[in-house]
This record gives sequence, structure tokens and C-alpha cells, in this order.
Amino acid sequence: MKHTIKLRINGEPYEGEVEARTLLVQFLRDQVGLTGTHIGCVVGECGACSVLVGDILVKSCLMLAVQANGSEVTTIEGLAARDALHPIQEAFVSKRGLQCGFCTPGFVMASYALLRRNPNPTEEQIRQDLSSNLCMCTGYVQIVEAVKEAAARLQP
Amino acid sequence: MSQYIGQSVRSKEAPRLVSGHGRYVDDLSLPRMLYASIVRSPYAHARILSVRADDAVRLAGVRGVVTPEDVQRLTRPFKPGRYAAGLRVPIPEYASAIEKVRYVGEPVAMVAADTRAKAEDALELVEIQYEPLTAVATADDAAGASAPLIYEELGSNVAWEGYVSYGDVNAAFGRADRVISEKLKIHRYSSTPLEPFACLAESTVGRLTIWCNSQSPDVIYEAAAEALGIADVRVIVPDVGGGFGQKIHLIRKYAVLTALMAIRTGRPVKWIEDRSEHMMAGGHSCEQEFDVEAAVSANGEVLGLRICDTDDVGGSVSTLTIHFTNKLNNLFNTYKVRHLRLEGRSVLTNKCPVVPNRGIGKPGMCFVWERIMDRIAQELSLDPVEIRRRNLIAADEFPYTTPNGNIYGSGNYKELLDKVVANVGYAEVRRQQAEQNARALDEREEGGSGKAEGGGSVPLRRGFIGIGVVIGVEPGGRNAARDMAIFPHSKQMPGAGGVEGATVKIEKNGSVVLTLGSPSCGQSHETTASQIVAEILGIAPERVSLSGTFDTAISPWGVSSSNSGNNFHLYDVGAVHGAATRLRDKVLTLAAHVLGADSGALQIEDGVISVGRVTNVGRVPRAGQEQSARGAAISFAELGKIAYANQAQLPAGFEPGLQATYYHSHPHANPLMLPDAEGRVRAQYTFSSAAHAAVVEVDPDTGRVRVLRYVIVSDNGTMINPAVVDGQIYGSAAHGISVALGEGFVYGSDGQLLTLTLLDYGKSTTLETPRIEIEHSPVPDPFTTFGQKAAGEGAAIPSPAAIASAVEDALSPLGVRVRQLPLSPERVWELINGRAGLYSPPGAA
Repeated sequence: MKHTIKLRINGEPYEGEVEARTLLVQFLRDQVGLTGTHIGCVVGECGACSVLVGDILVKSCLMLAVQANGSEVTTIEGLAARDALHPIQEAFVSKRGLQCGFCTPGFVMASYALLRRNPNPTEEQIRQDLSSNLCMCTGYVQIVEAVKEAAARLQP
Repeated sequence: MSQYIGQSVRSKEAPRLVSGHGRYVDDLSLPRMLYASIVRSPYAHARILSVRADDAVRLAGVRGVVTPEDVQRLTRPFKPGRYAAGLRVPIPEYASAIEKVRYVGEPVAMVAADTRAKAEDALELVEIQYEPLTAVATADDAAGASAPLIYEELGSNVAWEGYVSYGDVNAAFGRADRVISEKLKIHRYSSTPLEPFACLAESTVGRLTIWCNSQSPDVIYEAAAEALGIADVRVIVPDVGGGFGQKIHLIRKYAVLTALMAIRTGRPVKWIEDRSEHMMAGGHSCEQEFDVEAAVSANGEVLGLRICDTDDVGGSVSTLTIHFTNKLNNLFNTYKVRHLRLEGRSVLTNKCPVVPNRGIGKPGMCFVWERIMDRIAQELSLDPVEIRRRNLIAADEFPYTTPNGNIYGSGNYKELLDKVVANVGYAEVRRQQAEQNARALDEREEGGSGKAEGGGSVPLRRGFIGIGVVIGVEPGGRNAARDMAIFPHSKQMPGAGGVEGATVKIEKNGSVVLTLGSPSCGQSHETTASQIVAEILGIAPERVSLSGTFDTAISPWGVSSSNSGNNFHLYDVGAVHGAATRLRDKVLTLAAHVLGADSGALQIEDGVISVGRVTNVGRVPRAGQEQSARGAAISFAELGKIAYANQAQLPAGFEPGLQATYYHSHPHANPLMLPDAEGRVRAQYTFSSAAHAAVVEVDPDTGRVRVLRYVIVSDNGTMINPAVVDGQIYGSAAHGISVALGEGFVYGSDGQLLTLTLLDYGKSTTLETPRIEIEHSPVPDPFTTFGQKAAGEGAAIPSPAAIASAVEDALSPLGVRVRQLPLSPERVWELINGRAGLYSPPGAA
């Protein structure tokens, strides 16, 4: 069974048909072509598929595409203007908060949500918050440093 | 002196990856592409009686099914390969199960459909009749005389037995004042790369192209030729979401099944593994059990070591001896011991096959050494750091040849230990420990709920503090001939030493493009290699970029072209250096001609070649070379225009273009590249080393272990990019710590895997992973290009031992001995309460 959904993705309007069972992450990747959102576990454990739905950080493997009808979705591709890096992305680059890059879009989106809620997190708060996401490469040290750096860069 | 070597230059890969522009296999699409899904065995051990796919084929949208019968009819079995060295009876292994399934999740059939959802719908319509057989889930059960046979042809589940022995072990034990024995065990785990296996195959007239996230594309290349009989194969490896060894071996099955489906349907086929599939069938590290005996002198000198190693290799013979042979790489760890015997036994069980995994058998080997060192210290009432000091290879003994033939180029192990002891504040930790553990013991003996801190209603009992200090080597750069030391008669040896290439090109516009001979799985190879090119060619690293990811049709590859074996630092670095040097010569030859200068007088800076001094004295300048004077200069871009477009300005006999390819072998691969009569062989070529100190607190009520400090002092030789090396150390340490703290696979006695998700598996998050501290203490390797050594598997090798040591130390007031990993809360609680069975403290009920 197909449904028509209308939403905004990274600021652009989108209208199309989706199957009822299509997950938001599958819709974003396969139908919209935004492949920066990754699938690491598809059961909500790894956070690689994290996106913003409205203001809320969502693991897009735990949400159906139809549930995003009428909402504003932001993915890793929509965080910064074309060919530019968001300060959080820049902090991940300069502090090397990534290796293979597969978990990275999820960590960047989770960091974005954290810093919007708490612009000056302590290391403990960063670690508490980002425990929603898994990285198999970095041992997290440089990710935590990247988030601290991002917080500093985002200070008004 | 170096401009770019040793600098943590900005990552070249990261901007693409942080902005969602990575290109992994699952991001690729081709016209008319189908999506495949796999029918897997629900049984650990069963005979396949029949497979009927009629209903699946009839489902709308389904375009093809591949059954075991198809696989047997249309493909050939894989050759056993080097991981199966020692297999006594040839056993054909196909891409799918044939006749029998031997582990839960073993692939049986594949379905392809217009969408992944439709393919998954069709899975349950493939009707498979099984005759369930009794499963054997432990090595002990499998090795029993009446155990059901996993491979009838072998006549036993003990598929291999053998040994290596160096020095005079019996004499060493004869001389010993004490013989100290221990029984140890390390469990099944994996590195669980976040991106599971992924394949995309397209068959066009006569050519098969496979996009695959393989760490070793040569394995896929050869598998396609072996199984499908196709010579014209192209393997492309796009961005890879982590490897760690997982993506070397079993992935070939899926590449072949996907390719077969593409051939049968005449359409491109994509197959993406899901997480639970990866957990049950992507490959595990090996459960290893050790009986260890150390011959020790009264003053703590280890005279000899005897080890019996039982490896539970799971339900395949294809990696029969891999965890045994890899112990040759760090067989003597950092110690000067000269007499050692290692016996091995590979036992088949109805569990997932074992595969390479960050260090393969080396974490097990290091665990043996470091646990027995602690045990010796206890028996002799010596400090555990002191017992290690007494047995280390001394700094003036390098280059040092181990009794089994490894040549340690450089190192200073005592300094590593001294520094880690200083950095962790060893004496201060001991002081705090004495104080806190005494109180914790009091509270425990009082039997009460302990003192509440801060007046809260939740009683907080003090935990026990412990410290573990261990040391280990990190071998790097594989020698393809290693296994010949153990299996001299094997017919499947892939060669000797190592070979790999690189290509460096200056484009017409002066930018520099680099092609590597191996894939990257996130280790910043583009950045590091660009620094080398920049250093040699005299151009900023920003002007150097990678031509693309690995492609067998383009990349200069050889036996070492694998993102494994800690190969990059030796083979890729050597090849990039060689190609850049060759290209520099070419640049200078052309520039000298154009500028009318002697090439020896030229210097290159920031992509501009200039005449440093006048050298044309006594030479008659040719026409058109008036510019050949001091200060004359020409840029890479100007040279590019000449080299690719202006034959009139090329010197006679000069090969046009500005490109150079260089294939590298380790120039110091001898002696002992090939094994000698005593079975001595260079298992690997470089040996990084590191000392680790872990401080833990153990909650006696819950058994939970918290890592308070984790301090590493590491010698990785000359570092090309220290931040990249840091990243490798952080990541590998975090993995080893997580392994020790509880991540791992758990099977039921029926061979059912109980840990199908990352949460059940117990992977550490930001909360359990400590803030790892690193100090570098490099001693350059005398035999490598820049003095570099490996950084990759690294800290995953000693870290399980460090945590084990620290936990045992913490619980020493309770008489606990740690013999087995993981130290999950459950196991630690059992240890505290004397309920850990075989591995329980002596005298416990």
C-alpha cells in the first residue's frame, strides 16, 4: 500500500509516494538519493542514520517515512550551505573525529542536536549524550575533542 | 629537516566524509539493478534434504533465485588458501552451503528482486527441508570421541594438530627453579565494522565487475576466477566503513553469490548484509584456550615457555590455522626468552567460522605472556613491573632476532615501561589502592551495605582499585611465506615477502595525482601518502590528491595490496616513496633540459623548480636556453604543458608524460624471508611496541568494572602523521578494552547465537570507553623508508591483557585470579563469589 507524503528535506519541498513499510532512512537514501545517512544496524542501536525531524534528533531507521509527512527533515547534506562545512563538521575534520566515516554523519547530527540544547557541554555530558551512537574506529577520544572544539567555534 | 613527514597535516578524506559525500557500496546504483537477499540456516548443524524455490520465483518482482544445486552446478569450490594451511584432507568449500549447514546463518540460497523489501518477502517462500543434526557448540564437546562429525571426511572434529618449537625447551625446564602453570582462555569477539558486507556485481559481455567493500580485493579477484571461472574480473573498492580484518575472507562467498546472480539474471545485483547477518555469519575471532607452563629461575628470569593452544575455529576449514600461525608474529613478545614450544589444535564446532580480526592470534599470544608474567610475579612475590623489566630485550640488543626468526629492528622496551609507570603515577595509584581496598574489604567483611556517601538514601560501597601494567609488540608488514615454516609441504602458498605498487602523476595543470595499490578502510591513507609525495616532490600536500579508490584495473597491486597485516606502513609507504622519487628524477631531468641547467643544481620548492647555482660553466648552451642562469625557474604546470603537449621541448630519449609507477618489496626482507631448516622465518617485518597501564575500579556488588585511567606509551617508529597514529592507537585500545570488559559472542548449547545485535553483543559506547592517554616514544626502524613502523592493530593486542591484569590486581584481596575473558559484570561477580567453575579461584567451592 502506497501513501503520498509531502515534506521539506534540507529546505526543499518534496512530494512523492512511499510504501507504508518504508523506513525514513530507506526513503531518504533510496528514493531521495541522500546517501549521507547510513545504515549500520537498522534497529536503532548505532545511530549512523541520525537525522533531525523538526528539532528532534531521530534515528531514521526507527521511523516510517509516512510518519515524516508534513515535517521538516534535515540530513547531514543539509547542515551547511553547498560546498561549505558547518562549524561542527569543520571541528570533526580538524580534530579528526572520524576514521572510516561511516558513523560520522550520525555523530555530527547528534552533536548538532546536543549543542543546540546545551552550547557548553562538559566532557561528561558529551559522553552521556553521544552514547546513543557507536563508532568502531576512533575510540571516541577525538570525537569528544571535536565536539568540544565545535562548541568553542559556535560560541556567539 | 622534513617539511611534511611528522606533521599532523589536515585530513584530506575528512571533508568529504563529514558532509555526507562518502561513497560506500550501498550508495551506488546501476540501471535495472536488482536487490539480493540471502536465505540462511536456522540450524547450527543439519543436513539439507531439499530446496524448493518455485513459490519464491512466482512472487511478483522476484527476478532470480540461486539454490545450493545451482551453486554446485554453476560454480567451483574455492581453493583452500593460506588460512587453511595444514588441512589434511581436501574439502571443497563453495559460496553457499551444499548438502549440510554447519553454523547458524550459513548462506543457503539467494533471492533477487526489484526491491530489497520484495527480495526479503521472497525469503520465506524458499522451502528448505532440513534434517537437524546434533550440534557441538564447544571445543571440548567437539573434540570428544563420540561427538557428531562436522566434516565426515576428516574423521574427527580435531581438524589439525601440530607444534612449533624453538631452542631447547626441555633443558630450560630442567634448569628451572620453579615451574609455574596456568590455564587461560580468550573468547569470541569481532570488530563489528559499522558498515556490514556489501557487494554490487555487473556482468557485461565477457567482463565481470564487482564493487565490494573488501579489505583484500585480491581475495575477491581470485575467488571470482576460482569459483566462476571468469578471467576478466574487475574489483573496485569504494569507501569502506571499517574493516579490522572482518572484510578479508568470508566476504568472498557473498561476492561470488552476488556475481552469480548478476550473471543469471543479466542485470546488476546489489547485496547488502544486515547487522544480524553480520553478527552470525560475518566471521568471528577465535575462542582460544591455553595451557601454559613457564620455567622460571629463582630471581624471576623466564627460561622457557610451553603452551598448548586449542583454537575453536567454528564451522569451516577455510581458516583452520590462522589463529595459530599468527602467534608466530609475536611469539616472544618483548622478552629475551630463547626456549619456547607452542602446540596447536584446531577444533571444528557448529559456530561461525573464525576470520582475521585486529591482530588475529596476537592478542591471545600477548594475553598468555602478560598473564603468566603476573602469575610469576605473584609466585615470587615480585612487583609485576619488575618481573617484566628482568625479562625484557635490552635496548642495546637491537636489531634483535627472536628464536623463531623475527628481527626486531629497534626499540627500547624498558623506557616504555618506565614512562608508562611514571605517566600513570604507579606509586601513587598503589598508595590509593592500599587505602581504598582495605576499606572496601572491611565493608565487605562487615557484610553491610556500606557507608552512604553524601547522606543519600542509596548506599554506596567502595569499589576495589587495581592497576595492570603490560607490554606488547605490534608486528607490521606481512611476509607471504610465513606459513611455510609450519606447513613446508603446502601447495597453496601465495608467494614470499611482499609486493605492492603506487603511481604518482603530475597533471598538465601541475597538480599531483596519486594512485595507491591497496584499499583504505578509514586509516587516512590519502593524507599520509600525500605527505610523502609532498615531501619528495617539493609541493604542498594540498596539491596532491588520490586518483580514486582501489580498482584492480588501475591500482598497481600485488600480494601485499591488502588493508591488513599492518601492511600500509611498509608496502604502500615504500611504493609511494619509490614512485615519487622516480617522478622527481623525471621532473629534474626535464627541468634541467628546459632551463639548460645541470639537474643536480636544481631545487624544488612549492611546485617550482629553480636553479640554485650556476652550473653551466664550461658547457655550451644550446639554442633557446638563454634562461639557464641563476634564478631561472619553471613550475610543475609549465613542465606539464611540455611533457604532455610539446615534443619539441623534450630531451632526446625522454619518455613523455610525468608519471611514475614503483613496485615496492621490503629491501631488507632477508635473512629468513624463506624459512630455514629450524622453521625460523620472518613472520612480519617491523615491530612497534607499547606499554599499557590500566587503572580500574571493580564494584563488588555488581561485578561492574570501570576503567579510571588508561595510559599508553607507544613506539611506532618515525610517525608520518602523528594525529593519524593517535587515531589508530585510540581506536585499537578502545576495541581491546571493550573486548575485555564484555563485548563478545555468546552461543547456546544448541549452537544458536544469542548475541544478534550490537546491544546484546555489548559493544562499549562513549560511557564505558575511558579517555585513553598516549605518549609517543619513537625509536626509528633502521630498515624502513623513513624509520616508520606499524600503527593499526596496535593497542588491540595488549589491551585485553592490561584490563585482565588490573581487574585481578583489584580483586587480589579476595584471592581472585583472572584466567578468562571477557570480564563482564556477570563473570566478575562470579569470580568475586567463587562461582566461576574451571576458572574459579583455587580452593573455591
